[in-house]
This record gives sequence, C-alpha cells and structure tokens, in this order.
Amino acid sequence: MSEKFDVIVIGGGPAGLSTAYFLAKKGIETVVLERGPESGSKNVFGGRIYSYVLDRHFPGWRKEAPVERWVRRERLAISCKDSTVTIEFRPYRSEDGRYDSFTAFLSKFVAWLAEKAEEEGAMVLTSTKVDEILFKDEYASGVRTGGEELYSDYVVIAEGINTLLSERHKLRNEPRLSTTALGVKEVIRVKKEIINERFNVNDWEGVAEFILGYPLLGVAGGGFLYTMKEYITLGAVVRLSAIREKKIAMKDLAELLRIHPAIRDLVRDGTLIEYSAHLTREGGFLDVVKKPYGNGYVIVGDAAGFLLNTGFTIRGVDMAIESGRIAAEAIAKAHETGKRDEKTLSYYKELLDDSTIIKNLKEFSKLPEFLENERLYKDYPEVVCDVLSVAYTTEERTKRIYPALKESMKNHGINIITLLSDIIKARGAI
Amino acid sequence: MSKSKEIISIERRLTLTKFNIYKEPHIIVDTSKCEKCEEKPCIYACPAGLYQLDENGKLVFIYEGCLECGTCRLICPYGAVSWEYPPGGYGVWYKFG
Repeated sequence: MSEKFDVIVIGGGPAGLSTAYFLAKKGIETVVLERGPESGSKNVFGGRIYSYVLDRHFPGWRKEAPVERWVRRERLAISCKDSTVTIEFRPYRSEDGRYDSFTAFLSKFVAWLAEKAEEEGAMVLTSTKVDEILFKDEYASGVRTGGEELYSDYVVIAEGINTLLSERHKLRNEPRLSTTALGVKEVIRVKKEIINERFNVNDWEGVAEFILGYPLLGVAGGGFLYTMKEYITLGAVVRLSAIREKKIAMKDLAELLRIHPAIRDLVRDGTLIEYSAHLTREGGFLDVVKKPYGNGYVIVGDAAGFLLNTGFTIRGVDMAIESGRIAAEAIAKAHETGKRDEKTLSYYKELLDDSTIIKNLKEFSKLPEFLENERLYKDYPEVVCDVLSVAYTTEERTKRIYPALKESMKNHGINIITLLSDIIKARGAI
Repeated sequence: MSKSKEIISIERRLTLTKFNIYKEPHIIVDTSKCEKCEEKPCIYACPAGLYQLDENGKLVFIYEGCLECGTCRLICPYGAVSWEYPPGGYGVWYKFG
C-alpha cells in the first residue's frame, strides 16, 4: 500500500519541523519522517539559541518552550597552560528582550518544536529512516523507508549535516574536511544553587563561554561552556582537517577541558550524565549548497549549509527555523498552482537570497579562512597570558609590561609584519 | 567525578549515553583497505574511540557505542568506511543533546 501526502519532510530537526509547522499552518498536508525513536533524540548542539526568530513566528513561545537560562554573561576565556584570561561582557538587556539568546538542550527544544508542528496539524513519524528519495520522471516524488514507499508532491530535505541522501542523489557535495568540525559535549549535573553561586547569576540568568587555547593550543577549534538550570554543558569543536593534521585524540578532548584548572572548579562535585558528539559546519557561505531546490524538492537547514560561526557567536538553530519558514512559503506558492518544476521552486532561492540568512553568510564569507590561522589559537592567546602574568606578578621588583610583550611576541615568532598582516585580514573578515 | 583530576575513560563515559543497539552494524569497514593506510586518522578522530588496533596491529571497529557523528566517513583517506545510520528507532538516544 502506498500513501500520498502534499509534502514529505525528511528529518525532524529544527529545519524540518519548522518547515512542517509553517506548511501545516497554511493547511498543507505534511508528514515529517524522523529516524530517531522520539523527536530530538538524534539532535546535538552546543547549547544556545537566538530568540528573535521565535519572537517573530511563535506567539507565546517564551512561556512554553524548554528554555534553560537566558544568556546574561558572555565570556571569552583565553586559556594557556598555566593561566587563563577571561573577558566577560555583561549586557544589561532591555525588558522586552528582543535580541536575547537562551541556553537549551536541543533534544528538548526539538521535542517542543515537534509538538508545535503537530498542533498545527503536521504529522511526525518517529523511528522512520528514509533510505532513498524516489524520483519519477526526474521529479522527487516520495521516499522509500524500510520496505514502504510514501509519495508526495514535494520533498523537503532536512537530513542535517550528514547529507547521505543529498549526496547519493547528487544534489550536493560531501562536506569538506577543512570546513567541517567535530564537536564533543559533556553534560554535567550541578545543583542550581551552586551554579548560581559559582557564576554569579540568578535562577534564570545564564552564561555562555568560549574557550580559546588550551587544550587546543595551536589547533583551529575551541571549547565552549553553557550553564543550564541544573546542568553545565562543556565541550570542544575541532575542524576535521586539524584533527587529522595534529592527530587530536577526540575521545578525551572534553575531559581535558573538564580537568583544566580554569574549568575544574566550575564543575566541581558535578555528575557527568551524558556524552555526545556531532558534526558542524565551519565554512559559512562556502558550505552553502549552490542550488537548494530542484524538481519537486528543496533543501533546508544544516543540509543546505545554513550555519554562521563568527568566532564569537554560532547561529544554527535560528537559521534552520528561518530557512524552514522560507521553504514553506515557496512550497505553498507552488502548491497553489500545482506546479512542482524547479523553475517554480527556484522561488525558494530567490527568497533565501533576499533573506538575512544568505546576506549574513555572505557578509562573513572571508571569516572561515581567517579562522584557520593557527596564530589565533596558540601564539596570540599565549602572548596575552605572558603579558598579563608579568603585569600581575609582583616579586621584589615590578616589571614593565612593554618589554614583556616584545619578548613574548619574539618567542612566538610574531613580528610587526605578521601582526599587521593578521590585522588586515581580520579587517576583511570580522 | 567530584575529586577526580583524572580523565574518565571513554568506555565508562559511553555507559552514560543511552543506546538502542541494532543487531547488525550500520557501519562496515573494509579493513583490507586499512592495511595500506599508515595514518589511520579514524583511531584518534572517532569521539567514541571505536576504531582500535588489535594485538597484531590490525584495525578493528566496534559499532556499539557509535555516536552517529559521521566523522569516520569523512576522515577516512581510503574510503574504507561504508557509513549508514542505524535503522529507524535504533542507535544512540540523546536526552541532553
């Protein structure tokens, strides 16, 4: 027996569920096929979501969504072997909180998003892995899952970063080693009151921290820490090309971070409750699929390459949701006329090109290359640590810091030329 | 963990993550291709440490404990890794992803 829907969405992550939510809202019959045993069970991210997109399209979400804490402390830790320099930015945000971000578990957030899509009338089938997209007369017309075939007028490909189906059907290329990164994450349970005390926050305030340097000295990558209500998530992200080149033992990387003196005390007496891993994109605009549509299909979210890492902020979930909204817009317009051809669906790309997703990714298109510069991950952090360690160390004689700066730069092989050239590159990239 | 300054082994850490393991592996490694591979980046890249050398120096892969990240598929220089997701409903089951 075969069934036919208006739209089949492959993958029930943020992008797929968002597409389904907006399609169902327009009365279009949509089914989401999710391989995990429950919504969210295959999703992993660092820990933060930017809220503007939810404010715009999900009325009342602030009361319902599984928000852990609102980020009120942005920290950058420059971590060296014997010391750490931390910069904390503490915005006093306005009451309306429009430009907020919050910490969350993606598994729980996605489960909530699935509920929202279902409330609008979309169907979410879990434990359903798509093995193949069915093409009929060169039109994506359905999928094969297990022994069963399901048909639809439109197929939305929201398969995430491992683009097995898109690659198999030659809709996009394999992710590149140099612009794909592996993230590992540990979730550590720490009592709420203890988190509040250690991070100097109240019950709903949270911390987002980036860790540059040790244990990833000289490696294109970094650590992260987010505070949840009663958990701390801790992890690291490293480009695959760097893992290969520097032979980074990924299985113990999150642990090296956890036992580092700068982190150890923050997670003291905590209980490790989950270890996870996931790939992420680092290529920005480079990773964006050139043609995110075709006869009968569109590609959304991570599968299409919509992730922006500026070095300070990483935006994936909001872009996934927004791309889903745009895809739904394009499919709804096509559905009105019954057309499924790629020319009609190219409206999706038109809308994307005009959206902040693509505009923003283009704006930062020089950044991924800039972030490959190893000096950012070893020499500059160590110079900062060296200089401040002189500045804050008093023996009998207090030392001047300028000679210390000069000496440390010399030790790290940084001269005025390399420094200027890095500054010029930074100017174009950030 | 409280007083530990030591690394918790990957084997122990993987017992904390929930799995619904399928009876057959979803990843097949053609280890004949691994013999000519000097680098073997899978060994240190796999975040679950599932690629190891046995006592004869031959590469062995265990699929139980796979976190389904996809790293090995991309990082293998010889295309020895046939990578699929486990069947629907099986594999890793993240609660705090």
